Amino acid sequence: MRSVRMAAALMVLDAGLAGMVWAQEQAPREAQPCFACHGERGQGTTQGPMLAGLSTQYIEAQIDHFISGQRSNPLMTPMAQAYTDLQLRRPVATYFASQGKLPELHVRGQLQAGSAAERLYYQGDITRGIPACYSCHGPSAVGGGPFPRLAGQQADYVSAQLLAWQKGERKGDPGNMMAAIAKRLSAEDIQALGRYLAAIQ
Amino acid sequence: MRSNRIWPMILLWCALPNLAQAVYPDMQEEIATQPKAADEHYFTPRDLSRIPSGAFGDKVRKGYELFVNTQQLKGRYVGNTLNCTNCHLDAGTKAYAAPMWAAYLAYPAFRKKDNRVNNFAERIQGCFNYSMNGKAPALDSPELVAMSAYSYWLLMGGLLDMFGMQDKPVPELDDKHLQLGGNDESFVLPGPLAGRVKMAGREHMPGRAFATLARPPEDASPSRGQQVYSQYCAVCHGDQGQGREMADVPVLPALWGAQSYNWGAGMHRVNTAATFIFENMPLGKGVQLSVQEAWDVAAFINSRERPQDPRFNGDLSSTAKAFHGADQGYYGKTVDGKALGSQAFPSGIQP
Ligand code: HEC
Ligand code: HEC
Ligand code: HEC
Ligand code: HEC
Repeated sequence: MRSVRMAAALMVLDAGLAGMVWAQEQAPREAQPCFACHGERGQGTTQGPMLAGLSTQYIEAQIDHFISGQRSNPLMTPMAQAYTDLQLRRPVATYFASQGKLPELHVRGQLQAGSAAERLYYQGDITRGIPACYSCHGPSAVGGGPFPRLAGQQADYVSAQLLAWQKGERKGDPGNMMAAIAKRLSAEDIQALGRYLAAIQ
Repeated sequence: MRSNRIWPMILLWCALPNLAQAVYPDMQEEIATQPKAADEHYFTPRDLSRIPSGAFGDKVRKGYELFVNTQQLKGRYVGNTLNCTNCHLDAGTKAYAAPMWAAYLAYPAFRKKDNRVNNFAERIQGCFNYSMNGKAPALDSPELVAMSAYSYWLLMGGLLDMFGMQDKPVPELDDKHLQLGGNDESFVLPGPLAGRVKMAGREHMPGRAFATLARPPEDASPSRGQQVYSQYCAVCHGDQGQGREMADVPVLPALWGAQSYNWGAGMHRVNTAATFIFENMPLGKGVQLSVQEAWDVAAFINSRERPQDPRFNGDLSSTAKAFHGADQGYYGKTVDGKALGSQAFPSGIQP
């Protein structure tokens, strides 16, 4: 009984705290049009991927890629075209970059790989020339700078991006680095990696 | 504290140059490069999940953990933000990125230069003092035993598998023998392998160290290298070669500056860096550099300041003469009007 009340009190406290953070980081007006597909805090919806915790640099670069045609998507391309102006784009990117919470951090060597996907993430596969995803996407896939956060990203979206690189439909990654790696992944790897990354919270 | 350590060394160096070298042996001596073998993947170490349980397996596992997360020794044995695996790629398993399995068979190694034999653990100490800009753990320390055990296990597991003995466990060795290396007289292959693996010339196992790279058509140029750097490298290693941290964890390694390898490290030589870069960079190899580009960019990153050579005796030109006379590095040379090493960052672990 007591513990139930305690838990309830904690939940209230939690909600209160979250509310405070929310109030401090009011979404800029320019971000409103994104909510329908990406969610109010960039958490992602069935219409669009998670943006929370991607870096400002990465978000801005991707909008450029949609504008230049290096990436293409019937829902997102027109949105990007409306944000050619950096004045509009910067506050939106900064807002989404500041959302989301850090997952529990695991550095290389800390865990025994629990699955084939985790093994690829932390160790790569030398026989196929695949470097560890960790080398560029970091501990628990938090990302930074030009390297997107993958932790908690939608599984289907992750797999779709890797397939798009394999087919040459997504471009713009510096020095083709992600395309070169995606081409060495098997169809099973791609499914497994999507599920694995989505589950990192 | 620091000056306490340095003074006796300087005194020793003046009086007894050979002894001084024994205090800071020049273990970054160049290892000859090798022509590339036809099949780079002829040797595959065992998967980590096959490390056995028990005391020996625990050492191997610990060695792996230290190798990929050397930062857990930061401040104690490590002075910069690097991990062994930043240079010895894929946790020390990648051929032609100085893999540990091939290195293990090459020690103890006799060095004519100072008439001294280095065993495997001593060679690891060299990378702590220079590549990690730190202070090596002592021989017989749990760290050196563990890293030696991991290297030995990579070699033996791979050899057993290669000869169809997947079910055979790697024979255990005691700490003393683990640290010696596979080129010692006492090193014997287990029964089923003996006679099938040629042991003569074992120090030249294909894949060891780096692959031979042709000389560049034109002399390596730091200024051309700067362009290569901004085009292909800066995105990952940063405009100032500072690397990148994610959630405060160093992920992309620093190539120069206070957090990189010091002026005594093997990677500071332009030829060594060029062979490494040509073979392994940009990571993932979406782009292949030309031979000229690899030399130029190696010259660029190695003509920036970095932590001082720990053998620095207070005078740049005499240190350069004593330890860099024959190497293809920029230490003591003047680039952009500045003598490199004259504004070096502090050497070793900083408080
Ligand atoms: C109509 C739905 C829709 C709206 C509105 C929308 N997006 Fe998107 N967005 C998408 C979809 C769908 C994708 C995934 C595209 C793909 O699969 O390549 C996407 C992808 C992105 C990406 C790339 C994410 C990544 O991880 O690479 C960014 C950045 C982005 N959107 C930013 C925005 C911003 C900023 C806004 C508001 C200005 C916005 N989007 C509005 C649907 C939308
Ligand atoms: C050599 C560095 C590097 C390595 C290693 C690497 N990535 Fe990436 N990855 C990148 C970069 C850079 C991008 C952003 C590309 C762009 O700007 O379009 C990226 C983007 C991605 C994306 C798209 C994310 C999004 O939000 O659209 C996915 C998915 C991805 N990587 C998965 C992986 C997986 C899985 C691995 C390991 C098998 C891996 N990466 C290894 C550099 C790397
Ligand atoms: C900055 C890059 C770098 C880092 C970091 C580094 N090393 Fe090295 N290491 C080298 C280079 C370069 C060589 C080859 C030296 C030469 O040719 O002079 C080498 C050689 C070695 C060798 C001998 C290889 C052989 O074939 O003889 C061993 C063993 C070794 N390193 C272990 C380690 C360990 C253990 C660590 C981590 C504590 C480490 N290294 C960190 C660059 C590095
Ligand atoms: C896609 C990102 C990426 C690019 C581009 C890249 N590197 Fe690296 N580099 C890495 C990573 C990651 C490591 C460490 C490998 C690891 O930890 O698995 C590394 C390691 C190194 C090292 C050894 C570590 C050290 O601190 O000295 C050198 C030297 C190096 N890179 C030089 C270069 C040069 C020169 C270029 C440009 C030609 C380049 N790299 C391009 C990601 C990159």
